[in-house]
Amino acid sequence: MKKLTFHPLTWWIFSLALATAVARVNSPWFALLAVGVMSAIVFTQRENAPWGRSFNWTLKLALWIITIRAVIGVLIGVPIPGTVLFRVPILPLPHWVPGIRIGGAVTLERLSSSVSEGTVICAMIVIFGAAASLTSPHRLLRVLPIYLYEFGVSVVIATSVLPQLVSSVSRIRMAQRLRGQKTRGLQAFKRIAIPLLEESLARSLDLAAAMDARGYGISKKRSRYRPIKWAGLDVAVITAGFLVAGLS
Amino acid sequence: MIKFSNVSLIYPNSTTTVIEDLNLDIAEGELVLVIGPTGSGKSSLLRLINGLVPHHTGGILAGDISVDGISTATVKPGALAHLIGIVGQNPANGFVADTVEEELVFGMEALNLSNDTMRKRVEEVLDLMSLSQLRSRAIATLSGGEQQRVAIASALVAHPKVLVLDEPTSALDPIAAEEVLSILHRLVHDLSLTVVIAEHKLERVIQFADRIVHINGAGNAVVGTPEEILMNSPIAPPIVELARALGLKEIGTSVREMRRMTSQLRGSLELSTPKAAMTSTNSVVSINDLSISYNGKSALNSISATIYENEIVAIMGRNGAGKSSLLRAIAGVSENSFGDVIVNGINTQKLHSKSRRENVGFIPQEPSDLLYGQSVTNECDQADQDNQVSPGTTFSLLSQLVPGVSGNTHPRDLSEGQRLGLALSVVLSANPRLLVLDEPTRGLDYQAKRVLTKMLIDFARVFNRSVIIATHDVELVAELATRTIFIADGEIVADGPTIDVLLSSPAFAPQVSKIMAPQPWLTVADVVRAIEGDK
Repeated sequence: MKKLTFHPLTWWIFSLALATAVARVNSPWFALLAVGVMSAIVFTQRENAPWGRSFNWTLKLALWIITIRAVIGVLIGVPIPGTVLFRVPILPLPHWVPGIRIGGAVTLERLSSSVSEGTVICAMIVIFGAAASLTSPHRLLRVLPIYLYEFGVSVVIATSVLPQLVSSVSRIRMAQRLRGQKTRGLQAFKRIAIPLLEESLARSLDLAAAMDARGYGISKKRSRYRPIKWAGLDVAVITAGFLVAGLS
Repeated sequence: MIKFSNVSLIYPNSTTTVIEDLNLDIAEGELVLVIGPTGSGKSSLLRLINGLVPHHTGGILAGDISVDGISTATVKPGALAHLIGIVGQNPANGFVADTVEEELVFGMEALNLSNDTMRKRVEEVLDLMSLSQLRSRAIATLSGGEQQRVAIASALVAHPKVLVLDEPTSALDPIAAEEVLSILHRLVHDLSLTVVIAEHKLERVIQFADRIVHINGAGNAVVGTPEEILMNSPIAPPIVELARALGLKEIGTSVREMRRMTSQLRGSLELSTPKAAMTSTNSVVSINDLSISYNGKSALNSISATIYENEIVAIMGRNGAGKSSLLRAIAGVSENSFGDVIVNGINTQKLHSKSRRENVGFIPQEPSDLLYGQSVTNECDQADQDNQVSPGTTFSLLSQLVPGVSGNTHPRDLSEGQRLGLALSVVLSANPRLLVLDEPTRGLDYQAKRVLTKMLIDFARVFNRSVIIATHDVELVAELATRTIFIADGEIVADGPTIDVLLSSPAFAPQVSKIMAPQPWLTVADVVRAIEGDK
């Protein structure tokens, strides 16, 4: 599918509107629909860049949160009567913590209410995760107000250093494997951490020197190359977002 | 344009002066080359020009440096950004933005230039550096040569009067290096830009230099024309070594000059035929149908080869041709490879710990990745222990390779050549059947390269081992390799004795062979041997 270009704020505004709608409707089915829509957009429109690839991590994180929430929600808390699925032994608690129960009967109602609450919360995470992976942080930085610039630059440096760090880790691990060393465990961690730390320090110093040499921070005002403009497509996406939020 | 008056530099916590009482006057439109052994202070000299040293690094600076009349002591490096463009040793570490165009404008935005100016300059510099095809590409996806060009372009957009480059071609293949250097040459001649370059691979840059600053390591620097400096310098490219060996009165700095000087000599020699080298028939490595693909893109396409005892095989090819992928697959640590590599009867993917160390020794592009000890002694003891050899073996190996390394030094504080020596000793203490090296000569001076060459030849001949080496360094291949495999686009395009492969491609032919063509001689030693045999 053809990749379209959007204003860096478009997907953030759309996500905000969609998240509002999800919160107002408060239905797991609507939340799943929203996740489906956002995923479809991300998988067709994202760039092959570190932030684009981050969406898979967002999805994994959301699934983890739902699972953990469901397990804890079922084990701890107020029992909801209904169809009993199975029983877990009750953990005896001292008398000074009344009203809390760990274990006991697990009902279908309890499980489904945990899962559906979890789904709504995770849908929010996925929606904003999608906005983050659809927008280059560098382009976002350029439309942010100037007083956020310093902050933005540190974010940009962090986003560009992180993927490099990941590739450095795999490179150093490979080298250690080539030396016939184990790459797991505490000793291995030390062996990898030391060269990694040295390298990332050297790299940050290089980057700082390069930015310094190119006049960063010398002028209080910064000019903007190619100011980013709103297009009809952006208006359409944002209107759609507001319509969904309004109708919910 | 650039004036050093009585400049001395000492780094904090150091007892030796990096530069002592240097006087240097670089005129506008001059291309000055800075040479010297590794760790002699070339980078420091370059970074003194825009004040990164000592503003950024600390250190005590005596004397004065002024650029276009501005003393660097009085302003921050950033305030000279419109005057001096600087490209570091590893340009990838200095990139701020993610696409080429955004990277180019970063400096201009910081200098608050108007939008019209920026537009014009971006177009100008894209054309000048032939980058217009790449303007919206992500920098991370570019090859080494392209990244180097982007780094130079982003220094040039500020319209500096001085351009400073630290080893601009060390990571590039010969063709990419030539592209970058010819662009610099054009800038000097068309725009009268003043260029200062530090470089180890003199054979690549010497013909472009107007003057040379030779730092000898003890803080002293000599300035002069290439002919003056190179006549007696211990650092000399093959072209100069050849002039010395042939007893010429003058030295030439380009192939053209040297051919003119040697025309009489060449005319008097009969055309010799290269004799076939002796090869062993004991195969050590066999590579069968090896393919690698990353995310559906194929990096290597069913490669097969057999490597024998005593062979030193050079793997050459352009940046991004798949050399490093091939080496990793040979060592058995590539996760995306199909087909198999057998070393000494064992599939390399199944090697681990001791059996890995005894069969395949690997020196990665960054030798320091292998090292994690807190001192040289620490590192050597670990290797002795790992390989169950008598204590001290690794350290004595190191002393043979690079004499004079103190055991208490932290590996990080070693020079590039010493660090490679340490990594090599650690790997060689296990006496592996096959030694694999990925780009070992990046940042090595001629002296260190000679030591490496001798050591690798001994290792292959005396111990009946095999060596595979991936490199861009044509001169090293000429000196060292018995066989060369040329890779392009993931496929083997040439595989044969070094002499045949190198002579068949003008871009990859060493300087000596270009000068002595059509004689099949690759190195100064070849020429001397042939001429003496004649007499």
